[in-house]
Amino acid sequence: MGFLAIDESQTGATDSPLQETSWDADISVEVCPMKVRVYIAFLTCASLFAAAQTYGDSAARSNILALEYVWDQAQESRDVRALSAIFDNALVFVDYDGRILTKTEYLERVKSDSSHMEQIVTESMSVLVLGNTAIVVGTYRAKGIENGKPYLRRRRFVDTWMLMGERWVCVAAEATPIPH
Amino acid sequence: MWKPFSVFLLLLLVSRFGAQDTAQPESEQARILTLENAWNQSVQQKDASALRMLLAPDLIYVDYDGTLMNKEEYLASIRSLALHPVRIVNESMNVHFYGMVAVVTGVCRESGVKNGKPYVLLERFTDTWVRRGDNWVAVASQSTLTQH
Repeated sequence: MGFLAIDESQTGATDSPLQETSWDADISVEVCPMKVRVYIAFLTCASLFAAAQTYGDSAARSNILALEYVWDQAQESRDVRALSAIFDNALVFVDYDGRILTKTEYLERVKSDSSHMEQIVTESMSVLVLGNTAIVVGTYRAKGIENGKPYLRRRRFVDTWMLMGERWVCVAAEATPIPH
Repeated sequence: MWKPFSVFLLLLLVSRFGAQDTAQPESEQARILTLENAWNQSVQQKDASALRMLLAPDLIYVDYDGTLMNKEEYLASIRSLALHPVRIVNESMNVHFYGMVAVVTGVCRESGVKNGKPYVLLERFTDTWVRRGDNWVAVASQSTLTQH
């Protein structure tokens, strides 16, 4: 865009804007072929870079959304090994009651199944990718039986993911109760 | 008087720390904690201009009642005439660094007047900060009511 703007300023005044545009294009090709080639090369590189970036973010989003679903399934089936692979060792987990749990504490709680969770369903999720960091915000419903009474809980969560090597791991998660 | 002063203080803070290219983790941690306290001061003084500088344009904010807000919605909530925070203090803050990302957890005690009625809140929060250039900006923040 900057290149075109410079060329337009060099063309001088003409009677018709339409003529000016077409004349300007001819001059650019004949007088400055190198400029045009560089410009085309720049445009190609820029579009390829943009495509790669979009693809990269898109791939990251898909990957993270898949991991969020794996998390739900692993929690339902109390698959501690699968959950362990999703979390960074320094995970900080803030539960819906504000209690803070380490990775070990969270995995032990899932294993013991103290809340007898039967089903967890993610209702909505959106992912914000910021380079090697991703923030997921969403809502989920969890149902189960606690102290002999059935419960249905709805929460809004924010999870922070980091790309470590070639793997995305969750480093922080918090859930806040929301009305049904 | 307080609002321009707090904006100046924040600018000074950001530029001062921004000059340290090879900052040690301790100084980065101190910087993040200072920004957390500056955040509280800005909310307490309803200084949305100062607060704007601390927040990324794509901020994700989840309030203690689960309300999801973007940056502009959050700033509007701070300006609300119905809300008058009197005291906001953070406790038990921990910072985890992941390169250019810092995750802060802590407890926030807030008291004030909302819709003419006094309130006291105890919230557990998680804030995610990302370093952009020389500055740290908050990209996500979530609070959950707690008794612990």
